Amino acid sequence: MDHTTRLVKHGKGEVFDIELEESILKANDDLAAKNRELLGKHGVKAIDIMGSIGSGKTSLIELIVQKLKDRCRVAVFNGDLTTTIDAVRVARHGVEVVQINTGKECHLDANLVAKALDEIDLEELDLILIENVGNLICPGEFRLGADRRLVVISVTEGPYMVLKHPFIFIEADVVVVNKLDLAEAMGVKFEDLQTDVNNVNPKTKVVGTSCRNNLGIDKVIEALQV
Amino acid sequence: MHELSMANGIVETVLKEAKKRDASSVVEVRLVVGRFTMLGLEQLRYCYKLLTKNTSLEHSRLRIEREEGRIRCDSCGFEGPIQLKERLEYHLVFPTLECPECRKAVEMVSGRGCYIKSVRLKMSKHSSESYAPNVIL
Repeated sequence: MDHTTRLVKHGKGEVFDIELEESILKANDDLAAKNRELLGKHGVKAIDIMGSIGSGKTSLIELIVQKLKDRCRVAVFNGDLTTTIDAVRVARHGVEVVQINTGKECHLDANLVAKALDEIDLEELDLILIENVGNLICPGEFRLGADRRLVVISVTEGPYMVLKHPFIFIEADVVVVNKLDLAEAMGVKFEDLQTDVNNVNPKTKVVGTSCRNNLGIDKVIEALQV
Repeated sequence: MHELSMANGIVETVLKEAKKRDASSVVEVRLVVGRFTMLGLEQLRYCYKLLTKNTSLEHSRLRIEREEGRIRCDSCGFEGPIQLKERLEYHLVFPTLECPECRKAVEMVSGRGCYIKSVRLKMSKHSSESYAPNVIL
């Protein structure tokens, strides 16, 4: 060799650096992509329904199920820390329901949804509505593999819910503002909440509903394109 | 509160790497956290400290870098930092997916990741030469 090649190796007991580039959030994203692929293979659409506690996620699902069950085959996954209260409510409408209990986690993740997908026959289905755990913070971070993400809020939570939680609305394809029958009593305007959502994400469709009076549900279904 | 599960993912990944390379301890973990993840760094550090106790990561330094939010507009081709809007009467500054050029909706291309960039390991005195990676010290 006409030049000196200097090779430096670590010695025993020495310190060195390793480039890892190992993504922690990616593990969930990879699983979500697998769920999406599996759903796509069977021609099943899935909607991730996120939202505040008590905003009306389950009521909305019950009404969507009633409207859709005669024209497509629907199943519902109900995510909660514990209990089967929501699963029992939805099952009354004669659709297949899988309850996902997270224990203490405040959100569903792609792994839990993959397990729920194992429980059902995808060949027998067209649509899965996935009710996430009631929370406006963590669920946004964990994609499940759904085609669309819907966020439910309600006027009884006051006028500042969108301003206080802008991040989840970045993720939302559709936002439902529920309990419009109480808007006047609450002094909350639908239009203000709609503006707040579109300030964060101009392409999010915002729909007003009153689940108690079965109003606005067709518009939600239209916005979800199912 | 998913800092605990994230910290657990970090610790497990690093422990696996340290074991694979026959390291005696971990000196430092360099983590990158996007500004638009919902992770609280204070809680993340706290959970890291709890989970590393009695492991080869105990007393290791957790260095956290922030990844900035960037957007790309498919309508007009704008690429740049994510834009912010303000509601100063509420002391509020929030991110928006509105394109600063054409006002259409943009895609977010970075700022939502969380990954381990590198780890600094202390090698075991008995580690075999065959584990030696090609690193310039």
